[in-house]
Amino acid sequence: MIARRIDTKARTALLAVVLGSGLVTAQDRAPSGLTSQEIAQGYKTPTRWPTYSGDYTGQRHTPLTQITPANAHRLSAQWTFQTGIIPRRGYEGTPLVVDGVMYLTGPFNTAWAVDARTGRQFWRYRRDLPNDLTYGAVSPVNRGMGLLGNRLFLPTADAHLVALDTASGNVVWDTVLADYKIGYAATAAPLVVKDKVIVGISGGDFPTRGFLDAYDPQTGKRLWRFYTVPGPGEPGSDTWPGADVMARGGGATWVTGVYDPELNLLYWGTGNPNPLYYGEDRKGTNLYTASIVAIDADTGTLKWYHQFTPHDTHDWDSNHVPVLAELPIAGQQRKVVMVANRNGFFYVFDRANGKLLVGKPFSDTTWARELDANGHPIVLNDGSKGCLPDQWGSTNHMPASYDPARRLFFVTVRETCAAYLPVKEEIVPGRISNSGTVRRDADRSYGVLRAIDPTNVERKWEFKYPTPTMAGTMSTASGVVFAGDNEGNFMAFDAATGKNLWFYPTGAPIWGAAAMSFMLDGRQYVVIGSGTNVTAFALPPS
Amino acid sequence: MPMNAKVVLSALLLVSSFAVGANAQDGPFPGQQNRGAIASGGTLYQARCAECHGADGKGVAGHDLTRLWTLGATDERVFQTIRNGVPNTIMPSSTAPDGELRALIAYLRSLNGPAAPEPLRGNAENGERVFATSCSSCHAINGRGGRLGPDLSRISQSRAQLTEAIRSPASSIAAGYQPVTVITRDGETVKGALKGEDAFSVQLMDTTQRLRAYLKSSLKSFVRDPGSLMPDYGPSRVSESDLDDLIRYLSTFRPPAGRPRGEP
Repeated sequence: MIARRIDTKARTALLAVVLGSGLVTAQDRAPSGLTSQEIAQGYKTPTRWPTYSGDYTGQRHTPLTQITPANAHRLSAQWTFQTGIIPRRGYEGTPLVVDGVMYLTGPFNTAWAVDARTGRQFWRYRRDLPNDLTYGAVSPVNRGMGLLGNRLFLPTADAHLVALDTASGNVVWDTVLADYKIGYAATAAPLVVKDKVIVGISGGDFPTRGFLDAYDPQTGKRLWRFYTVPGPGEPGSDTWPGADVMARGGGATWVTGVYDPELNLLYWGTGNPNPLYYGEDRKGTNLYTASIVAIDADTGTLKWYHQFTPHDTHDWDSNHVPVLAELPIAGQQRKVVMVANRNGFFYVFDRANGKLLVGKPFSDTTWARELDANGHPIVLNDGSKGCLPDQWGSTNHMPASYDPARRLFFVTVRETCAAYLPVKEEIVPGRISNSGTVRRDADRSYGVLRAIDPTNVERKWEFKYPTPTMAGTMSTASGVVFAGDNEGNFMAFDAATGKNLWFYPTGAPIWGAAAMSFMLDGRQYVVIGSGTNVTAFALPPS
Repeated sequence: MPMNAKVVLSALLLVSSFAVGANAQDGPFPGQQNRGAIASGGTLYQARCAECHGADGKGVAGHDLTRLWTLGATDERVFQTIRNGVPNTIMPSSTAPDGELRALIAYLRSLNGPAAPEPLRGNAENGERVFATSCSSCHAINGRGGRLGPDLSRISQSRAQLTEAIRSPASSIAAGYQPVTVITRDGETVKGALKGEDAFSVQLMDTTQRLRAYLKSSLKSFVRDPGSLMPDYGPSRVSESDLDDLIRYLSTFRPPAGRPRGEP
C-alpha cells in the first residue's frame, strides 16, 4: 500500500514562503516548475541545485564564490534538520534546492520539503515498506531524488519509482522497477534528461540481473531498459559460463550517472558480479559488471563500455559518479569522462568513443600498478603477497569533485589492508550472495583526501584521516574544497594547497554524502548530511 | 592488571550492549532451537548482519557474535538489542517482525557453542590478594579499582588467553588502551591510553587516570607508543602459583553459560 500524506497547513505555508521570498519570479512559480532545459543549465541559477551532482557533468564544482579560503574559517551552522531516522551507515543523500525549498530524502524512503533558510518542514512523505525487504533491508538507504516540473522522483527500497508532488508530497504515480523479493531495491537519485527519468537499480549482492531504465515523467511508463548483463546469445554473453549464471549476474547501477547533451550519451557505472567473493562458478570476465557504460539517452542502446575489473572477486563495484571535463592530453584538448575507481586506478576516457587516455593508480594498492594494452589491471598480488584493498575499495560511491580551473580532481581515498576468504554458497533468490568474508586490519588502514592532476594522476596534495573514510567532496570556484571524515568532521580545505581552513564536528561519520551549495538571500549555504541530521552552514550575514 | 586484547574489550562492550532492555524473560524463547528457525535465521543473518558481523559471526566491522551467551547474554536481551539498535554506533534498529528476530536469535544461538570446561586450579582467595596488590591500581572489578586498563568484572577468556594477557600484555592491545605520548607546545609530556582521535584532536586518559584532550595544533608531537601501558608480569613478578590463583579469582566472575550475570 502506498502512503499518501498531505498537510494542507504545510502546503499553505510553502506557498506563502515562496511568494514572500521576493527572490522568485512569476515564471518560476508557474505550475510547470523546473524545466528540463533549466536542469541542463545546471548551476546557471545560483539559488538552485537542480540535480544530484549539481549539473550533468558530475564535477560537483559550484561556481559560487562567496565562501573563500580567506573567510571559510568564519563558517557556522545556520540550521539543522533532524530526520529522526537512525541510518544503517550514514546519511547518504544530496538534497535538491529550487527557489528556496529544499527537497531531501532519508533512510527507509522518507522524503521532506523544508524551508532552505531555516530547515523548517513543509511536508513529509514516508513510504509504507513491506516487512520482507531483501536488499532494501540490508541497505535501506536513499541517495536523493530527481526533479522535473512539479514532480520529484523517488526510488524505493522495495524497487519502485515513485513520483511525488513537489507542493504536497502526495504520490502522483508509482511504478514497479523490479521484484524486490528476489533481491532488488532502488537507492540512487534518478537523473532527469530531457523527457525521461533515468534510474538505476540496486541489489547486485543478491542474485539479480542489473539494468538501467528510462521512464516517462508524466505517466511512469517505462521507455527503455538496458541490461548490464547480456542475455543468451547477446554480445558479451561469451564472458559468462551460462544463461542461468547471467540471469543472476549482478551488475547493479546504484549510483547516479552523468550526461553529455552534445553526444546524447549517459555514462553510468555498474556493480559487482554475483556472487561477490566466490568466482569459480562464473568463470569469464563477466561483462558488463564492474564497468562504465555509455548509453544512448533516447534508446538505451550501448555505445561503448570499459570494464575496470574483469571477473571481480572483491566486491569492487564500479558505481561511481563519472566526471565529464575537457583536458589537455598529449597536446590535444579532449572531451573526457573520468573515474576514480574502487580498484585503485584513475581512468580518463575519450567520452565519444571510450578510448582510454589515462589509467594509473591513485591509491597505494599493491593489487596492480599498471594496466595492460586493453586497459585491464596487470594483477601483481591476488592476496597471496599481502593484504589488498578491502571490499569497499580504494574509493567508493561517495562523489568526488573536479576543479577545471585548477585542473585538480579531489577524491576521498581509502588505504586499507584486507584478506578475502571466499566460500562457495548456495545461490537462493532473495538471499544475499556474499560467498565469503573479508577481514580488515584496522591498524593498517586509513583515509586520505587527495588532490590529483587527472592528466597524469600526479598527487598535488593530500590530507590524512585516522580511519578509512566514506565522505564525498564538493569544490567551489573560489578555491575551497568541502570534505568529511569517518570521525564526523565536516571540513573546508584550500583547493590549491590542501591546507585545512575550517572544521565542524557533526557528531556522526559523514558516510556516502557530499556537500551541496546554493545562494539564498544573498548568502551562500553549504549543506551536508551526517547521522540523523542535515546541517546548513554559511558565513555571518554581512 | 593484565588484559588481553581486542577480544576482551569487544566481549565486554558486547555484553554491555546487550544489557539493553533486559527484563524478566531471560530464558530461551519457546520453540527457539528447532532446525527450521535456525535455517531461516541463518538466511536473515546473511542478508542483514553478515556485512558487519561476518559470514561466520566472528565480526568484521561489528562484534563477534559467537560468544554472546557464554558472556551472559540472554535471548531477550539480544532481541531487544536487535530491535532497538545500539545508540551512537552503526548498529541500527530493526522493524522486522518478532518472528524474524526470534529466528535470527535461534541462528545466533547455534553459533554459540557451549564453552569447553577448564579444570579448576588455584586459590581464589589468594588470587584476590594478588589482584589487590598487582592489578587493582589500573583495573577494576565490580566498581572497585583503577580505570587505566579494561574493567575485569566480566571474564570470558580461556586460561591460556589470560596467561598471555598477564605475561605479555603487548601481544594484543584492546581499542581504547593503545599507549600514546603527547608533547605539548609548552613542553609538557603526557603518556596515557588513547580514547579517541580525529584529524584535529586526540582524547586520552593519562597515567594518573585523568581524562585529557588536545587539539593537535597545540601539540609538538603525538606518538603511538609500541607495547602496552601494562608491564609484563613475568614469573619474577607473579609466580606460577600466584598466576594460577589470580586466574582462579578472575574466573569467579565468569558468568555460567546461558545465564545472565546477577541472576541466581
